[in-house]
Parts: sequence; structure tokens; C-alpha cells
Amino acid sequence: MVLLNISDVDISYGKRLIVKNCNLTLEKGEICSIVGESGSGKTTVIRAVLGLLARGGKVTAGDIVYEGRSLLTLNDKEWRALRGHDISMIFQDSGAMMNQTRRTGDSYVEYIRTHESIFTKDAWAKGVEMLGRMHLPDPDRIMRSYPFQLSGGQRQRVGIAMGMTYQPRLLLADEPTSALDVTTQAQIVRQMLELRDEYGTSIIIVTHDIGVASYMADKLVVMKDGVIEDQGDRDHILHETDNAYTRKLMEAVPSLGGKRYV
Amino acid sequence: MFDIDEKDLVLEAKHVTRRFPTSSGRELVACNDINLKMYKGKTLGLVGESGCGKSSFMRFLVWLDRPSEGEIWFHGRDITKLRGEELRRERQYIQMVFQDPSTSFNPKMKVRDIVCEPLLNFRRIRSSEKDKRARELLEMVELPGEFADRYPHNMSGGQRQRVAIARALAMEPEIIVMDEATSALDVSVQETVIELITRLQREKQVTIGFICHNLGLIQSFAHQIAVMYLGNIVEVLPGENVDAVACHPYTRALIDSVFDTKMDFSKKIEPIKGEPPSPLDLPAGCPFADRCEKCMDICRTERPQLRALSPEHEIACHLTF
Repeated sequence: MVLLNISDVDISYGKRLIVKNCNLTLEKGEICSIVGESGSGKTTVIRAVLGLLARGGKVTAGDIVYEGRSLLTLNDKEWRALRGHDISMIFQDSGAMMNQTRRTGDSYVEYIRTHESIFTKDAWAKGVEMLGRMHLPDPDRIMRSYPFQLSGGQRQRVGIAMGMTYQPRLLLADEPTSALDVTTQAQIVRQMLELRDEYGTSIIIVTHDIGVASYMADKLVVMKDGVIEDQGDRDHILHETDNAYTRKLMEAVPSLGGKRYV
Repeated sequence: MFDIDEKDLVLEAKHVTRRFPTSSGRELVACNDINLKMYKGKTLGLVGESGCGKSSFMRFLVWLDRPSEGEIWFHGRDITKLRGEELRRERQYIQMVFQDPSTSFNPKMKVRDIVCEPLLNFRRIRSSEKDKRARELLEMVELPGEFADRYPHNMSGGQRQRVAIARALAMEPEIIVMDEATSALDVSVQETVIELITRLQREKQVTIGFICHNLGLIQSFAHQIAVMYLGNIVEVLPGENVDAVACHPYTRALIDSVFDTKMDFSKKIEPIKGEPPSPLDLPAGCPFADRCEKCMDICRTERPQLRALSPEHEIACHLTF
């Protein structure tokens, strides 16, 4: 079953065309990784899916269809119903999206109460439960902490917990592990894979870390200069593709026991 | 294979410790009794997670900070005691390349002035020779000579990092410290910068101290790798065959956390639990004890010392290998 279909999409900021002729299909329960170098337009694509293009950004051609419904014509009310419940997003540093002068729990409660009509006390309990499910030790303390008192890994888990509160069917992740240490990165990667196994969530992950992208993905998309250069199954992209750019990019990824320069 | 030859010893750190006082009156131990040796024309990779003290240590080498205790021997002297003009003279032999090339240059200086500034400071060249020398340096790092007229913001990240390398090499130093010098770059650019660094190292026999958090990357060009955890060196091993040689449970955990395109994708990743504890309250025993699956009673009470498994392989762990 197709969950999301992006067809022939052009995205411009002002008069500048940033993403050209983007085509992407995501099945239910599928994980798709978008890789590419900085400035290749990979983040722009997923921001467009959630209607979060920065000021001046606009989809100028094509259509983005989620579950048979075009996302380009939604009004504010429809967006509010969709975001969080159906589609949610994790950012590179989830601490940055929270108000630094409020406790994590207060931000979380506000998030929950925006999406459903619930008493503050119950919303708090729901937050604690979600944090616990994301393997955060001592969720009560996390709720009572300010974002800057948490480590990068903890903040990222809070972000994932918030994103997963309503078990959305599509999770968009923008460089979710790039700011983390390697062992924490491995924990977060594992956790995101568990989301798919437990809730059947489809995930689009945007990252420049090709190792992480390949480990997680069913499908890999390679972007360059705003154009999808190559896409296909993981094994196809890693081993069989004829695209010269993809091959060069894949060869540049350092690997254990791989190429040595000395 | 990298053979240790004591003749080639360039720099030796002995029992280097750095403590930072905190506002609450407690002590933060950033580096705890570090002993490391660097050899001529070889790369020492320093690996660890954020806050493990790897940058703190490398900063001692370029006098951005001084250790609380311990000695660093270079040119037959303890360089931590140098002051004044003596220190200034010595600075030309150890240079540094920083992580973010966009913040390590004066934005108002042209590339020509950036790469020639150290040469002028030490009167190695006259102002009239600047043009020629800048061109030579840029061409050495595979940039067009015309870039001498550019400003740093007119270049891409990879190009800027090449300028930073050119500036560091201008003095023909014996040691270059690179603090995550490729972390801000895209993989394809990273690859070309690593190729450049290793070529220049072969040509000039310069010693490199490379800080990195990516074990997959560092093992591709380091001769020697030191793994740090919470201010302590837990393992020093040769750069080759890291996967086969590494013994320390923390090094193994780092290896298991490496994602690359050649890994077995069906293998479930088994990350170690938790996060590094605060360096404020260092446990009495092994710093890794809380997260180690093979933790024994002795690990909690007695800190393991580095011991040699072979001449080029040292480990600080109570387990027997």
C-alpha cells in the first residue's frame, strides 16, 4: 500500500528553484533514507511533506499525496489535525525545538494538550509513559528537567517520544543522529527501527551519514544539487547501480577494515 | 605494519593530568594520567566520545592550555614549562588545524595573508615574497594559486579546510594537531582531504595527532590509535586491523557502533547501554565499569593501569585476553 507519493515536485525559494522534478513513493512500514551532500536539497524535500518550508519556500509544481489526499491544498485546521497524529517529525537537535525556559514536561504537556482535550495531570502521566517506552531511565526526572540539563541523547529520545505520542503512520527524521556520539547514535538507530517493528511506522530519514542510512533503509535515495540522482533498493544502490555519482559517493564512505591510505 | 622505533620518538607525554575547578568546589578531571608517544612521520589517532578529554589533551601540545600535572617532552625539553620568547620560538614546530574552518580564519583577511601570516611573524619571508609563497602553498594543497585573492567566505568548506592545512604546513612543523579536521565535511570531500593529508605526510614526514570520533575513518589512515574514555586512555593499538586486534570492551563497543556500507545489515546492532557518567564524579575503579557487560568486582574498586599486550598494543582492563 502506498502511503506517500511525491510526484514531479519542484520547490522554489523565491525565484530560485531548489528541488527539481522530485519523485518518491513510500509504502506502509517502509523506511526510506535520503542521502546527499550538504545543500543537495534533501531536507527541503521532507520539510515540504510536512508543509514546513522556510519563509518564501513553495512547491511550484507537482503534487504530494498522502493516503490519497493532496497535502498542498490543506488549510491550517487540516494541517493541525494531520501533524502529530498522522505525520510527525524529529529534528537534528530536539532540545532546540523546546522552550529553554520551561521544563521538558511543560513543553510536552502543551504538545499533548494541543492535540487532544485532556487534563494537565493526565497529559503529564501520558508524557511520562511515552518517555518510559522510549527507554529513558527515570522519566519523571526528565519531565522535571530543563532541556539544557539533558544530554544530547536524552533530548533526542524526548523528541522521538513526542513525535511518537500519537503513533503517526509517517515519521520524518532530519539528521536525527548527526549531533550524537557514536554509541548514542547506535542506540537511537536501534530505537527508530523498533518503532517500525512495533507500530508499523513508515520513516523517511534524511542524513549525510551513509552508513546509518544504509543500515536503516529499505530504499535509498541519492540527491545531488536538488535532483534525485539515483534511487532504489538498498542492495541495488550499494552494489549494482550504474550511476557514477552514487558509486563515487559510496566508495568515499569510510569502513572498518576498508581502504587504508598509509 | 608500524614498527615502534624509539629513535623516531618526537613527543612524549608523561603522566599528564588536567583538573578543572568547578563553581561548586568540586573537581572535573578532563585528563587523568595520560601517557602517550608520538613518532616521526606517523599519525596518532585519538578516539573517544564528547567530553572524554581528547581535545583537552591535544590542546596542551599547542599551548592553548597547560596540564595541572605531568610533563610533555619535545626537543629534549618539558614544553609545559616554557614561557615567553622560548615558548614563541617553539610554537612554530607544532601547528594546529581546527574542526570548523569557517571560524578559524579572520574573515577580513585574504587567503594570501592567512597562509603567510605565520611566515611573516617568524620573519621566514619578506612581504615582497608573499605572493609567490602563497601560490606555492595553495598549490601544495591542490588549490588553484588564484585563490590567494579570495576571502574565506568565498570558498567551500573543503577548500577552506585545505587553506587551514596550508597555513599549518607553512611553518614546516614537526607535528600537526588536527581536531576533528574532517568532521564538518561531506564524505566525498572528507575522502579527498584525507588523501591530501596522507600524501603530505609521506612527503614531509610530519607527525600528526588526529582527534576523531569515527573509528571507521581514523583506522583508514592512523598508524596508532589511542582510545579515551572519561579522561583515561583505555587502549592503545595499531591502526591496522583494528577490528581483529581491539580487546577493551569500550573499544569493542565503539567498533559495534560503526555504521558503514559494507557491514552485515541483517545483524542486529547491540549498543552499550547508558551514557558516559559525569567526569565530576569519577568512580574509584574502572571508568567504564558502569556500562561494561563484563564488569567484575575488582573493576569497581581498583582502577586498571595500562599494560602491554604486545609492544604496540596496550590496554587498561582487568580482563585477561
